[in-house]
Amino acid sequence: MVKMAGMFRPRRLDLSGFINTRVIRDHNKRMAIEQTEPERQALRYMIRNTSLPQRVRAQAQLQLSQMHPYTRPTQVKNRCVASGHGRSIVRAFRLNRFQFRMQAIAGELPGVQKASW
Amino acid sequence: MIQSCSKPTVAHYSVRAERLGALGENARLPRSVQAIYLRPLRRKAEYGLPVCDLQLRSYSVDNVEFFADFAIRAAYYLNLPVSGPVPLPRLVQRWTVLRSNFVHKKSKENFERITLRRLIQIKDGNPQVVQTWLAFLRKHAFYGVGMKANVWEHESLGTVYPSLEIAWITQLLTTGDMTDVGKAMDESLPEIEQSLRPYLAQFGQRENKSAENAKFDILETGRFAERNNQ
Repeated sequence: MVKMAGMFRPRRLDLSGFINTRVIRDHNKRMAIEQTEPERQALRYMIRNTSLPQRVRAQAQLQLSQMHPYTRPTQVKNRCVASGHGRSIVRAFRLNRFQFRMQAIAGELPGVQKASW
Repeated sequence: MIQSCSKPTVAHYSVRAERLGALGENARLPRSVQAIYLRPLRRKAEYGLPVCDLQLRSYSVDNVEFFADFAIRAAYYLNLPVSGPVPLPRLVQRWTVLRSNFVHKKSKENFERITLRRLIQIKDGNPQVVQTWLAFLRKHAFYGVGMKANVWEHESLGTVYPSLEIAWITQLLTTGDMTDVGKAMDESLPEIEQSLRPYLAQFGQRENKSAENAKFDILETGRFAERNNQ
């Protein structure tokens, strides 16, 4: 099987907001994971189920290892929705630390204030 | 059931009452308008059985206080006994971020978000009236105030197991005491088990589950087989 990342790319871009290559790639991975999740879970179940014949379990292992890397949930990376940055994301706002600071100072994040205690 | 309010709220109402006095020098306002200036009225709870917990959340005190007041007044006019608003502990979330977008690790800035919560509890309410109250609050939802409601419904044992209640009542009527109610319940247990058996037999399974060995065939069919051929 040829491992082509392009097969997970939609014809039309179904994203809005800040976009760059890495954001699109991450989005494609999320889509791929969503689509193949039942298949992955079925294979995982077969591999772990000791009541199944050894042959079936080995086959399932092989198939799971042959699945495309994009279908692996560990491939997902949280990215900043305002800048596409992949590091130090504030999960509650899905923003990069610098974007978070700028938006917080501008008062665009409800309830967030400068703290001093 | 008038509860003592927190200090700022009391001051708030006294200020309003003064304003009301000034207004009413020449002519009295209608009662319904007067009520707005005074502490909200409340119904007395007869049994005190909690029926609904409404939690209000906001980042600003004014909003959450105002809406809690509104909810209590609405409950009064729907004949719902209410207790609260109970000020629940504030949720403080803090974030520390670098000031700069690049390096300068030692220069940081703190941000925080404080969520204020108020709990309003409805007691002894009819479930439909409680739903009406919640729908009314949702319709007139206030900006910047979130709502979360836990609703409990109670029903008598008789609605679930009619035979059980009949046994119970006959016991009560014939002997006149409640001590043997447990025995009566034990006696009616086999009957209940009988009625539950078809449901318990299917516990953890789907109704339309296919043949036992279906999982063995999965690998031979569909997408799995295709992958093998590639």
